[in-house]
Amino acid sequence: MTEAKKSEVLQGTLDLMILKTLHALGPQHGFGIARRIEQVSRDVLQLNEGTVYTSLLRLLQQGWIVAEWGLSENNRKAKFYSITPRGEKQLAVETENWERISGVVGRVLRLEGEG
Amino acid sequence: MAGRGMSRMRAWAARARGFFGRQGRDGQFEDELQEHLNLLKERFVAQGMSSPDATAAARRQFGNTTLLCEDRRELRTLVSLEDLGRDFHYAVRALGKSRGFAMVAMVTLALGIGASTAIFSVIDNIMLSPFPYKNPGEMVFLRVVDTQSDSHGRQGYTAPEYLELAEQNHVFSATTAAAEDLVLYKHGEGTDQFYGAHVTPGTFEFFGMPAMLGRVLQPADYEPGAPPVFVMRYKTWVTRFDGDPSILGKTMVLNETPRTLVGIMPPRFGWYEADVLIPEKPMRGAKSSFAGIMVNWFFLGRLKPGVTKEQAEADATVILQGLARVNPQAYPQHFTVKAKKLGDTVVGQFEATLLTALAAVALLLLIGCGNVANLMLARATARAKEFALRSVLGAGRARLVRLQLVESLVLALGGAAIGVLIAWGGLKGLVAALPQNVIPAESVIELNAPVLAFTLGVAVLTALIFGLAPALQAARRDLNDPLRDSGKGVSGGFQTGRLRDAVVVVEVAMSLVLLIGAGLFMRSFVALRATPLGLRADHVYQVQLLLPRSRYEKAAQMRSFFEPLLARLKAVPGVVEASESSSIPPYGGVESRVEIAGKTHAEDWHALIQHVSEGYFRVLRIELKLGRGFTETEVNDARKVAVVNETFVQKYFPHQENPMGQRVRLSMLQSMGDPVAEPWFEIVGVVGDVTNLGLQAPTEPEVWFPYTVTGSGAQVLMVRTKHDPALIANELRRAVWSTDSGVALDHPSTLEDRINARVFAGPRFSFLVMTIFGCVGLVLVTIGVYSVLAYATARKTHEIGIRMALGAERRDVLEMVVRGGLGLVFAGIGVGLAVSLVLGRVITAQLNGVPAHDPATLAGTVLVVIATGAMACWIPARRAARLDPNVALRYE
Repeated sequence: MTEAKKSEVLQGTLDLMILKTLHALGPQHGFGIARRIEQVSRDVLQLNEGTVYTSLLRLLQQGWIVAEWGLSENNRKAKFYSITPRGEKQLAVETENWERISGVVGRVLRLEGEG
Repeated sequence: MAGRGMSRMRAWAARARGFFGRQGRDGQFEDELQEHLNLLKERFVAQGMSSPDATAAARRQFGNTTLLCEDRRELRTLVSLEDLGRDFHYAVRALGKSRGFAMVAMVTLALGIGASTAIFSVIDNIMLSPFPYKNPGEMVFLRVVDTQSDSHGRQGYTAPEYLELAEQNHVFSATTAAAEDLVLYKHGEGTDQFYGAHVTPGTFEFFGMPAMLGRVLQPADYEPGAPPVFVMRYKTWVTRFDGDPSILGKTMVLNETPRTLVGIMPPRFGWYEADVLIPEKPMRGAKSSFAGIMVNWFFLGRLKPGVTKEQAEADATVILQGLARVNPQAYPQHFTVKAKKLGDTVVGQFEATLLTALAAVALLLLIGCGNVANLMLARATARAKEFALRSVLGAGRARLVRLQLVESLVLALGGAAIGVLIAWGGLKGLVAALPQNVIPAESVIELNAPVLAFTLGVAVLTALIFGLAPALQAARRDLNDPLRDSGKGVSGGFQTGRLRDAVVVVEVAMSLVLLIGAGLFMRSFVALRATPLGLRADHVYQVQLLLPRSRYEKAAQMRSFFEPLLARLKAVPGVVEASESSSIPPYGGVESRVEIAGKTHAEDWHALIQHVSEGYFRVLRIELKLGRGFTETEVNDARKVAVVNETFVQKYFPHQENPMGQRVRLSMLQSMGDPVAEPWFEIVGVVGDVTNLGLQAPTEPEVWFPYTVTGSGAQVLMVRTKHDPALIANELRRAVWSTDSGVALDHPSTLEDRINARVFAGPRFSFLVMTIFGCVGLVLVTIGVYSVLAYATARKTHEIGIRMALGAERRDVLEMVVRGGLGLVFAGIGVGLAVSLVLGRVITAQLNGVPAHDPATLAGTVLVVIATGAMACWIPARRAARLDPNVALRYE
């Protein structure tokens, strides 16, 4: 619960990560996305997997991803999400944004460390 | 920016979809989550966990599903009821903390909401649902319309016509008819008069209304030889008999027939505006009524379910065309029958006045909304920190918007509550100012359920209007800025400032429109008052006399009454002159075809003809232009002499001929109840024009002749007095009744009062209502301009301090503030003028003698708005200029 509430910043990054995942891997269901993020983050991020779905909903509403029902690898019904062209555009903008900010933050932190 | 707006719209659309299609989708979402949990569990089992452990681990890793579903609902739907309740609670608490703001806002709204409630209750009770009867929408009356002329057509029918319509139609489930009859009511002291209606069998069943006391008329009352009875209307019972229940069952002598009062109707029964209702079965074979006019039955039918007005028209046309084949002279050559809804008989022109008033209150309400919106914007700026903090603590944007909207709604509802009180009080004044002749007898103007529902609707609407901008503003705000901002420095958010300015411009524009409307109605009213009547109405008392027709039919009988009466009146101290007449200014007599001896002409010549006694021109101080008035001998001998007005001379003697001694034929007199065989009259005098078709229409040719020539037509008494004419009332009544106690006095009053009530009441109402609304609007706008400027200068205190420290003079500061404020006022005036010019066309029809773009009105109004605007700017400007730079710099 606290996770969801104080995650204003985290939510934004989760959206970004999901977009990136869909961009990199193509259509995925929620479980697949969670696995991918887990795998990439190598246990650095403690992900509450349920929040993936909140994030997916948000992305759906913005029209950055679309969803359709399909069959998963083990032949079970699952909802597959894929990124839309507008989502691609948004991903580019957000990625650039993120890199700029994290760069600045990084620089500032290094400065602090030296001083 | 645009992209963000778009994506927000998409999110809203998705929410709206979710709001309606929640049920099915929720299940799918839960399935999806469950599937995810299953997969996690399978993975843990594969890693070697026991089944229960794996389930728990999966749960842990996934998080709380219930919360997730709620999150989702929050994301997907517009509002949840619990949250709304919480928001209400919070809004009330927040407003309670700033009572001053809440009170100002609510009172401002209350003015607008109250005014619109009052006007709407008049509209609802007069126009929308004036009739208390069972399904009034099914009731139609019929008009015979000449297809080759654009006249109104006739709506009165002879008894055979009514019977034919009632018996032969296929479209009405029931029919009824009423025939007007002036009823003389003889009592101990003298005679009074009632407006009576003869009503057909089944009338009360038709309207579906029982009596309040006693009973309504029953089929037995219509049988030949049945004891004569009648029913009385509530209003008459209260005003003439003090609501005394003991009169029920009493016998009264009505038109010389003793009749028993069997019932008193409830307050809202007002059919045919009749004081008394008398049973009468229409018979084939016409009968003449008061003053020798044929009985006319006013027909009312109730449409069968599913029958349209058009079908009824077609059916009635067939029936009456059948009658026209037998009796062609009673009908136009080509005619059709038109069906009209019951409500179409009244109101008419007044509808436009009421709708204008409604538009005016809408403007007033919008101005009020503008003020409150600005207050809210200012408050929102002041509360920016609070909102930022809320955001940081996790309140979503939607939540913040909702919070603000709910606060607005609380304000609006508070305003509505006060507004209803204002409306309740104001309605009494409004009803008193309403011209009485436009109100259907059945309507009672009150705050009823539909009106209160309207008020509630208006409140919600205003909350949306004034609350939305501040709400969105609150939601758009950057999280970080307000928390950093100490409130000092350069004036608050640029965008809020812009929005506030725009609101002020719109407010000024609307108030200008309102004031121009008020100014035009005022000018129009003044012009109407200034219309020369051609006579002096002051110091004149008038009354219509109703003479029992059994004894007063012929000219000689009339003379035997009026000769002694006039002599008696002239002997009363304080009476200057007294006269008989057949009509009351500003209306002349009845229209007649006229011929002039020795003149031939292709088209019909017409004139209004009016019978008078010799004193008439002196009573009304009508100017004699040529020749002389009537002598007493001429009147007493019933000589066929005439006086004409100047318009008559200009129209029918256009070549400077001398009208004196010419002979004019008044054809109408031949076909009256007491006909004049050879209606040729010799012109003995010409008088100045007197308005004779009301004040707005040009004067028609008019001819006066001695009242002793015919016994037909109405009888009016006019008396000029030395002092206040109202003082003569009792003397006059005594004089009439001592001449003949069987004569009734109808609507005695001073001539000025009568003209006021009949002619000026409507325009006065428009002018009063518009002026009140215009002034309230102006006050609101002044407050609006002032508060925006005061707020802006307060925000700028620090800035002004710096400027002054850097060497700005007080004058510069003054100028800066005033220029800023007046700029808005002028922008508003520009917009307002443009709007007024467009809207002016709409009210042109309601104006008299003033064009809608009357330059004097426009200029005057603009000056008033500039003056009040300047005043509103001056106070905050002076306060700013007086700032001590030292204090200002330290100001937080």
